[in-house]
Amino acid sequence: MTTETRPDYEQEWRENLEKVGIVRRMLSGRKWFGVDWWLVAISAVMVLAFIIIGIFPGWFAPYSPDIPVGPGFLAPGASPALPVLVSLSTSGITELSDLETPSGAPRPEVGVVKGVPTAQALNEQARELNSQLSGTGKELRPRIVRFDTLEEALQGVVDGTVLAAVVQSNEYEAVAGDFPTVVEGKSVTGGTASQGGFILGTNRIGQDVFSRLIWGTRIALIVGFSASLVALFLGVPIGLFAGFVGGKLDRFIGVIMDSLYSFPGLILAIAITAVLGPSVLNVIVAIAVLYIPTYYRIVRGQTLSVKEETYIEAARSIGARRREILTKYIYPNVIPSVAIIFSVNVADAILTGAGLSFLGLGLPPDIADWGIDIAQGRLVIQSAWWLITFPGLAIMMVVLAFTMMGEGLMEIFNPKLRER
Amino acid sequence: MGSSGLTLRYPLAMSPLALIFLIIGVPALTGLIYVFVRGSAGLRRYILARIALTVPMVLILGTLVFLILRVIPGDPVSSALGPKGSPETVARLKEQLGLNDPLAVQYAHFLGSIVTFDFGNSLTGGHRPIIDEMSERFPATLELVTPAAILALVIGVFGGAWAASRRKRTTDYSMRIYSVVIYSLPIFWLGLMFQLLFGLRLHWLPIASRIDGVAGTTLHHITNIYSLDALLTGNWVALKSVLLHMVLPTLTLGLVLSGVFVRLTRINVIETMQQDYIEAARARGIHERVVVYGHALKNAMIPVITLIGLQVAILLAGAVLTETVFSWPGMGSYLVERISSRDYTAVQSVIVMFAMFVALISLAVDIVYSLVDPRVRY
Repeated sequence: MTTETRPDYEQEWRENLEKVGIVRRMLSGRKWFGVDWWLVAISAVMVLAFIIIGIFPGWFAPYSPDIPVGPGFLAPGASPALPVLVSLSTSGITELSDLETPSGAPRPEVGVVKGVPTAQALNEQARELNSQLSGTGKELRPRIVRFDTLEEALQGVVDGTVLAAVVQSNEYEAVAGDFPTVVEGKSVTGGTASQGGFILGTNRIGQDVFSRLIWGTRIALIVGFSASLVALFLGVPIGLFAGFVGGKLDRFIGVIMDSLYSFPGLILAIAITAVLGPSVLNVIVAIAVLYIPTYYRIVRGQTLSVKEETYIEAARSIGARRREILTKYIYPNVIPSVAIIFSVNVADAILTGAGLSFLGLGLPPDIADWGIDIAQGRLVIQSAWWLITFPGLAIMMVVLAFTMMGEGLMEIFNPKLRER
Repeated sequence: MGSSGLTLRYPLAMSPLALIFLIIGVPALTGLIYVFVRGSAGLRRYILARIALTVPMVLILGTLVFLILRVIPGDPVSSALGPKGSPETVARLKEQLGLNDPLAVQYAHFLGSIVTFDFGNSLTGGHRPIIDEMSERFPATLELVTPAAILALVIGVFGGAWAASRRKRTTDYSMRIYSVVIYSLPIFWLGLMFQLLFGLRLHWLPIASRIDGVAGTTLHHITNIYSLDALLTGNWVALKSVLLHMVLPTLTLGLVLSGVFVRLTRINVIETMQQDYIEAARARGIHERVVVYGHALKNAMIPVITLIGLQVAILLAGAVLTETVFSWPGMGSYLVERISSRDYTAVQSVIVMFAMFVALISLAVDIVYSLVDPRVRY
């Protein structure tokens, strides 16, 4: 057996290792960075969670983001209003089929309130049930009586003017106490009032805000990651090259990059997306352009300082070629700081993307995006606070996760901040 | 009380933009000339080189915007006219705007417009000269951006120094979390939340525009910086209205910016605190508060000033969104309005104006920096 041929100490070491849990192994790490370590750990978990949500939004979203699934402007947690049948408790009428009459008999009178969409629901349901009854000698053709207010309709039920009434469940519940002899039956459309509402409410056209939030994660991450990656792939080589070659070319690139860097990125992105027109790809391009100087600056600076190190001189003296020095010695030393910048960069790109779509630029308006949702919610800020509050919180959480990770890593790795 | 008593009766019949350039530019220029004449040879050389660098900066950004708006596929004229525009109208407008000229000729025209400040007329909305529209809008942006920057500076510098003086303690971590959270807030959302809370729920503050309708009619527009105009004419009713309108936009922009400033100040003060002279000051028994705010913060301010100068970009980008949220009629909302009406001549001009503003600010910061820190000049 192979295990028998191994030395004893290795066996012992393996056994010892088995005894330590992963937490103990992490805690007994050589260096302990305190709160910064925790900031990085917590934000890493958050980032991971957002990435999973972004890849599989369907697992978390209860509804589709594009289809109206409920009434418009439903407040968070409020249950949707249902057209329910109410009648005297003694009448025994609890659902629409209780109103069936033999063909030719006088039609039962059912009250509705003017200006409330229950009459339409009642008509549609009654017609459908009636068509099923054809040939059985029965029919379901209620005569609709319209009342001015809900109270009048309920009083009508109490007085016997109408046999029953179809009213909005939420409005009925508010005044139910005044009419003790009236009972609430089933909804004429089939749903029950306890079906529950939408956890974060619905928007103007009845889409579920929560589902749109979940699906918005995907577009935010796509924009953030792609824009930062494109900027990285362009900015890092330019920075390496400029720092390594130096001279006039370096200065020329430097002036361009500095101008770009000092200019408000959002304004440039506004111009680019306005010309390119709305599409996800265009937003990515517009934002990527803005962040090339960020990578350029950090990589160039690092390259300049690494270039002077003794080991580069040593490599050069043993005859290493320039390309070799660049790829094998300088590049690996520059990468850690690029990784930190990348994390902060993704956060920034998500913010810029949200700002663009808030202004109505960049993304096509039919995409489930947080910036677009806030822009639309802003039009009804007086009545529907939840339409702007939650998408904004979502942007904040995602950006916070990436920023905190970069911030914590920076604090840990920045040699200047190390205590002496 | 009326505003008639103290009215200056339009002593200066000039555009607000020119007036603002006078108010800010003349003292700045005088200072610059003084420094230039009295300064050392090294300082003189540095200032000249720095001024020379400003020109390519504006030029590069202008060229970039020119290229973006002209070369990138997409036809501004047909999209401006929409589906209604017949091919003839499109062709006529293109001819009128000089879009049929060779690119080089268009570029020359464009450079000429930067030098002469004559940006042509706007495509829509009254066809007024763009420079007139901007001279109304620019003071509004200035009135928003200046107090916001001061607010951010105060919070940032003192918060950052406070955090640094209590490194790795609760204060430090709370300030750092504050700065990260504030940085992560979408500025337009913060503005909307303030509107929701202070405007619509509590009814404490107005949430849109720069001044009340009634007070606005009594105000004489001299510089178009409303608070300054109200002060100059002694119109206290208007001044109160203007200040109330300024609170929420300024707070929004200033708070968001303060996050970055806290971070910059904290890192720089911590670096300074590790210097030997801090140790020496402590050894002499100087009170810790004096060590932090007197010695460390003072020395850390030198790099902080430069870094803060670089944040002008964040300030202006934030201003675009803040102005849109609060219907503040400044340069940012002008840009957004012109973008949606597809008036690319105006868009191009606004961006060039922004570029000039940024270039001038960074020039000013660098020159101040060179005065404070003699090491820079050489």
